[in-house]
Amino acid sequence: MEAAPAVLGGAQLTGFKDFFQYLAPTRVVAGRELLGSTGFEFQKEGAARVFLVTDEVVRSTGLVERVEAGVADGGLVVAGVFDGVPQDSSTDVVEVCAAAATEAGADSFLAVGGGSVMDTAKVAAAVFSHGGSALELEGIYLMPREREGVGRPLAMAPLACIPTTAGTGSEVSMAAVIKDPTRKVKLEIVDFPLFPRLAILDPESTRTLPPSVAAATGMDAMTHAIESYVSVDSSPLQDARALHALRLIRDNLERAVENGPEDEEARGQMLVAASLAITISLGSVHAMSHPAGAHFGVPHGVANAIHLPHVIRFNAEGGHDIANRYRDIAELLGAVPAGADPEVGELLASHVTELVDRLGLPTRLSHAGVPEDGIPALVEGAMGDGATLLNPREPAEGDYERLFRAAL
Amino acid sequence: MAYFKDADEVYSYIGKLFEDLAQDEELAPKFQKANTVVQYQYSDPESTITVKLLEGEEGEVDLGETSLEPEVVMTMDADTAHRFWLGKVNVTVALARGQMKAKGPVAKILKLVPLVKPVFPRYRQMLQDAGREDLLEAA
Repeated sequence: MEAAPAVLGGAQLTGFKDFFQYLAPTRVVAGRELLGSTGFEFQKEGAARVFLVTDEVVRSTGLVERVEAGVADGGLVVAGVFDGVPQDSSTDVVEVCAAAATEAGADSFLAVGGGSVMDTAKVAAAVFSHGGSALELEGIYLMPREREGVGRPLAMAPLACIPTTAGTGSEVSMAAVIKDPTRKVKLEIVDFPLFPRLAILDPESTRTLPPSVAAATGMDAMTHAIESYVSVDSSPLQDARALHALRLIRDNLERAVENGPEDEEARGQMLVAASLAITISLGSVHAMSHPAGAHFGVPHGVANAIHLPHVIRFNAEGGHDIANRYRDIAELLGAVPAGADPEVGELLASHVTELVDRLGLPTRLSHAGVPEDGIPALVEGAMGDGATLLNPREPAEGDYERLFRAAL
Repeated sequence: MAYFKDADEVYSYIGKLFEDLAQDEELAPKFQKANTVVQYQYSDPESTITVKLLEGEEGEVDLGETSLEPEVVMTMDADTAHRFWLGKVNVTVALARGQMKAKGPVAKILKLVPLVKPVFPRYRQMLQDAGREDLLEAA
């Protein structure tokens, strides 16, 4: 008789896994005063005529001009600059961006901005490289491949990212999420070619990041690390990254928020932490935060910060294997003494809530503008989110309703 | 060797399962919450099942040609589909390995995954009733 059905993943959190896959092909260049050598680094990835993608806010800070100078200093040409990326980008924006890159005769893309800018650049680079529309790329591992779709993915134009927030991790991930305004849904594209070829992590790029955004995006990174470590889709290789990301977040997040851009050390370490923490293997925190953003505009990092403690409590009651994973995290964060065996979920959850409070972020959904009568829509959204399948404890509708009420 | 010898066999078992589910008073309304049209494109043998799951509308299952316009397209070989309905395929792993490919708003389909567990014994029973223990043993 074979093992019990594992359609929902099954929380195989210990021992040698039945299956895992790990890939991290992005070349990461991190350090101080790197923006001036953007061109020097990007030419190694085959770029010559660079199309720069950003938003108006980032451009207004003068950062883009410094990056442009860095591109030119490496002997590359800035073929064009597209600064029309909104906070919540869409298929329309992507297609305008790709067309502008074609018109400019570009051969490569450089994203300077946060998650929306980087995801726009990723999808625009794909449309630019393969033609068609963003909609045609939607799905998981569906980008064009050799051998009638089963072979090696076709190469995309080189893409480099300079993140201006420390949280999303899109600069080293193979996922992109943008809105489809026609269907009013988030369009998700996941495939290997979306890994950028190059990520440049320089704390100078987060200098203009306000403390509140540094706090929210930092909590996004912390959520990535914690969720990936307990996900049914976790892997030993990602575990190592997640735990080191948590060490860096433990030691630098509050500093990066309190001291602001003058603390280059903390801001730089948070950029590294965000790049370490990102994965597509998440869980119910993200499943809850996606509809909170879609329906009520709760910023993603804020929503994660609110939901994280409640999901920790829920999951930790799901079995010893799960609780033991949280124990690793709790010990690392100093939430429980090493070797202690108390109710680890409760202690870790309280530790996270206290951190969120110290960071000045809301700890309740109602403080972030979510009304009580919005809960049914949130529950439906969370149940339909792919991240639910990766949560170590299977949540039912009633569980999500209780979690949202507890978070309200 | 593939489990099913031709498309008709796929339709006789997996297709029949979809048709039964569309008529199920308890499960059909839950599946219709997906509010989409899904097409399952199987290979080896080539076969296509299209399922209308729209809230407030009668369910519809087309075997082979269809006039329905799918919003989500799931692609896999028929063996993987057979093993899925026996509860032997981890969807997230199958997607990660490319054994299943999902095109379109995948979340709409993923939300159905937790609902399918009660269907596994039904599929097994259907095969037993049809005297197809060979399909059970092969998987």
